[in-house]
Amino acid sequence: MTIDELRAKAAERQQTCSQIKKMIVSRLDLEVEPDWITDDQPLFGRGLELDSLDVLELYVAIEAEFGVALYDSEMAVFGSISRLADEVNPRLRAAA
Amino acid sequence: MTLTHPEGTVYGQVGDATVPLRFTDLSAEYKVLRDRAVALDLSGHTLIEISGPAAVDFAQRVLARDVEYLTSERCMMSLVLDDDGRVVDQVLAFGREDGLLLESSVGAGARLLEHLRAVADDDVEIVDRSADLTVIGLEGPYAWGVVGRLIDGELASLPFEAVSDTVWNDVEIIFARTGFTGEYGYQMIVPVESAADLWQATLEHVTPSGQEALELAMLEVRQPIPRLETAGDVNVIEIGANWLVDVTKDEFVGKEAVLAAFESRQGLRTVGFSGGDTVPEPGARVLAGGEDIGEVVFAVRSVGLGTTLGLARVESGLAAAGLELTVEGADVTTLTSPYIVPKSWSIPII
Repeated sequence: MTIDELRAKAAERQQTCSQIKKMIVSRLDLEVEPDWITDDQPLFGRGLELDSLDVLELYVAIEAEFGVALYDSEMAVFGSISRLADEVNPRLRAAA
Repeated sequence: MTLTHPEGTVYGQVGDATVPLRFTDLSAEYKVLRDRAVALDLSGHTLIEISGPAAVDFAQRVLARDVEYLTSERCMMSLVLDDDGRVVDQVLAFGREDGLLLESSVGAGARLLEHLRAVADDDVEIVDRSADLTVIGLEGPYAWGVVGRLIDGELASLPFEAVSDTVWNDVEIIFARTGFTGEYGYQMIVPVESAADLWQATLEHVTPSGQEALELAMLEVRQPIPRLETAGDVNVIEIGANWLVDVTKDEFVGKEAVLAAFESRQGLRTVGFSGGDTVPEPGARVLAGGEDIGEVVFAVRSVGLGTTLGLARVESGLAAAGLELTVEGADVTTLTSPYIVPKSWSIPII
């Protein structure tokens, strides 16, 4: 792959991650700027410190925003923003 | 070193501490950590007491996260920064009745202590408690079972970062639910004179794991390892440790520099990678489509992945998972964190 193709591929993931961060900040009414959250940041316990109620809120928000139902998914999909991006944008996972 | 270990234990110098790197074999210790539970000799973590009338105000100023309401039943991980926003250390801050207790990262106690004393006010007392307190850790998907057998099952189900002052064998200890590896984790802060007894009692239930296995497991869940990630002229944003800084806090040492770095949108970003048969040294160049885009921060041989696993610091537009890059001639792929899913995420405490 050329560097331009790699940049385009990275940009698609970063765009999806950015969309997820904005959704989380908005839905959970967080005080931080969305970009302050890193793609690899843990979401539960450590990191963003979300709890099980936040997960329920995120299930609803993700389905509304991305049309993806995660209700039966393992907690691993919430391992990081980037991991969540793989779920809501399957093209990222297929290309990985 | 507070604890004595069997002959054959391999030690190493990490910063100002001599620590057990491995007791037997890295691979075996790692697998036990990820599959069952291990004991950790964390005596290389320095404990520093902050007390006095202005203790909380001082801690609020030097810690990058908000500790104003950190009660004696809570602890919190935070970065300590200098004026330029560089990482001095990553600490666990324990709320105490008369101030706070800070636990340094491994081997970083002297550096942390020097920094704290340099920025301290007159009405704050800073005391190195390493001579009378030490830390023993438990980590693994079944570490909660060990807590039940060793002390009290009720403690096993404490919420994350909850702290309890408790008694073991007539000795007062500080018990905390913590964790570095994504697995269930606990820490016991114990008087030095009782540490050997508690360590031996712990080893009746689990085997020990050294620093190498611990750091490998930390890397796999992107838990920052300060001694390996903060060298050189890098800032918090480039390290990717934003979550250990609370920018909504009014004021703390290094805040302006961190915000400037964040708002500039410039610089490098850190991303995980795997691949290749050899382990590249820190500083090895990372190429994308034949062009130099950054360098390796550090890398190790991953037992869980069966290949090289590391962190690279690359230009921000290429800091994303799923890219095929080259390091020292080897094809590597950038990764989505966590690189290994901790078993604890699917095992409830019962």
